[in-house]
Amino acid sequence: MTTDAGATTRISGSSTAVRAQPGHGLLWRIVSSDIFAKILVGVVIVMVWQIGMDRLGSNFDYVARPSGVVQAIPVTIAPEWYFVNVLKTPEAYTPVIRAAHERFKNGIVSTIGAIFIGLFISLVAGTVVGVLMGRIKAVDRLLSFYVIAFYAMPMVAIVPVVVNWFGSAGGGTRMAIILFAGFFSITMNMADGARATPPEYLDVAKAYRAKPWDVWFGIAIPAAMPYLLAGIRLAAGRALVGAVIAEMLTGTPNSLGNFILLEAGNLRYDEAFVAVLVLSFFGVGIEVVLNWSTRTFLPWYRREG
Amino acid sequence: MNSIWDSRLVRFSTYAAGLLVGAALWEHFGGKVNASYGAPLSATVKRFIFLVSNGQLQEAVLGSLELYFAGFIAAVLAASVFGLLMSRLNYLRVGFENYIMLLYATPMIAMVPFIKSVLEIGFAAKFTVVFMFGFFPVLFNTLEGGRSLKPEMIEVAKSFRSSELALWRDLLIPHTVPFILTGLRQGAGRALVGVVAAEFLISSSGLGGLIQDQQGKYSMSGVFASIAVLTAMGLLLMWIGRVLENHMAAWRGLNR
Repeated sequence: MTTDAGATTRISGSSTAVRAQPGHGLLWRIVSSDIFAKILVGVVIVMVWQIGMDRLGSNFDYVARPSGVVQAIPVTIAPEWYFVNVLKTPEAYTPVIRAAHERFKNGIVSTIGAIFIGLFISLVAGTVVGVLMGRIKAVDRLLSFYVIAFYAMPMVAIVPVVVNWFGSAGGGTRMAIILFAGFFSITMNMADGARATPPEYLDVAKAYRAKPWDVWFGIAIPAAMPYLLAGIRLAAGRALVGAVIAEMLTGTPNSLGNFILLEAGNLRYDEAFVAVLVLSFFGVGIEVVLNWSTRTFLPWYRREG
Repeated sequence: MNSIWDSRLVRFSTYAAGLLVGAALWEHFGGKVNASYGAPLSATVKRFIFLVSNGQLQEAVLGSLELYFAGFIAAVLAASVFGLLMSRLNYLRVGFENYIMLLYATPMIAMVPFIKSVLEIGFAAKFTVVFMFGFFPVLFNTLEGGRSLKPEMIEVAKSFRSSELALWRDLLIPHTVPFILTGLRQGAGRALVGVVAAEFLISSSGLGGLIQDQQGKYSMSGVFASIAVLTAMGLLLMWIGRVLENHMAAWRGLNR
């Protein structure tokens, strides 16, 4: 069974919710449209969340809910503009809010920056190690046990060990966990891809007496691009979780994970939720970029399953 | 060249060499570093035997497994029922899929403080964490199954006057099960991370609790032994997931 490349390509409206049929009125056509279905479900989710939290009673006033999150978004992202220009109440722009905004801003830069750097290092190192594992049997047999075992090791469990090595203040532990989460996923997929290099390519290379490194870097890697992209997708999701876990467990200063814990600790759950939204959209953003690059750069590739 | 490398003796000895070199490196550097940084292999094995002999390790494993299976089985059941329902009700699927995608991409670890704010600290809160780690991978993949079900197939079934029950039994469920199993394999690893995260962040218990306990006693070898057990659990779950998926992949027409 062959379907289009990438999961999200199909999500964004390939099949319609209800098949349009002649003779239906305008109202029916609006109600049965995809966009109406999406908005309707969104409204229902928000209402259930809001009413559910309201029902918990006055002891749970601090719990995050849509009405609070909507207000918290401008307060967290652009408090100066919001209080001075929109509400016209500059006196409400307190130092507490200013400090939270600074931590939020710095948190985005630091967390997302660390994930990008960590993923880049994992990508380069994982591609090289993976291609060698896939093409040289001895390397594969020496390393595959470790790659699989470290991949299966729950990354959260090693945080208490790694924090002793790298400390929490400089984000060293976070970087180690991101690399741990990213490197083995990419290596594993790259090795699978390099192992599956079409034999015809290798025959041609052999006939022209290609050097081994030309086979590895000139043939095996390009041929394994779909595997590599699957590896990056896996690595990005794991790295995002790993970064936030490390930040929460070690209290990395000026990070989104720590921002969530601090705001929640001060019963500012709505503000904390804004940071969760940032992480969600970052996660979706990675998926969208990867799907877009699959379609643009690998049009020959059709994902199976 | 291939023939030499494929001979049984060479294959076995390269695998063995990899394991021996790793063990030797661990033993050497583990013994050299400060005791708060690491522990050699021999000390880890000794500590493992000690933790088994006083029953602490078995208790921790059982505690973690109970949490894992309670949360993950509930997640798989809920996600596959909801996913199947959406495969049949197209309108529901189109309405929900973007939100499910969003939650699938959200690092669920970030939701832990919010779960703590609503639920009392205890089993229910930890169960919810594991449930959320496992639920979205399964649902996301079940939905892929629903999306790939061609409307023509349903039309054919309908034109033969298939009952709704028969449609589910003979078309919908057989078509979707392989996708559910792909989700199960993805979710199995994530749920294990969820178990340890819940045991660290909500209340100390199980293997996560044992890691904290051993760390509190300054026993790096105890921490390493607990992590090794967790890794073995992760490998076992990955293997089960892969076997189940391969078993069903034949149905889906993929022989990877």
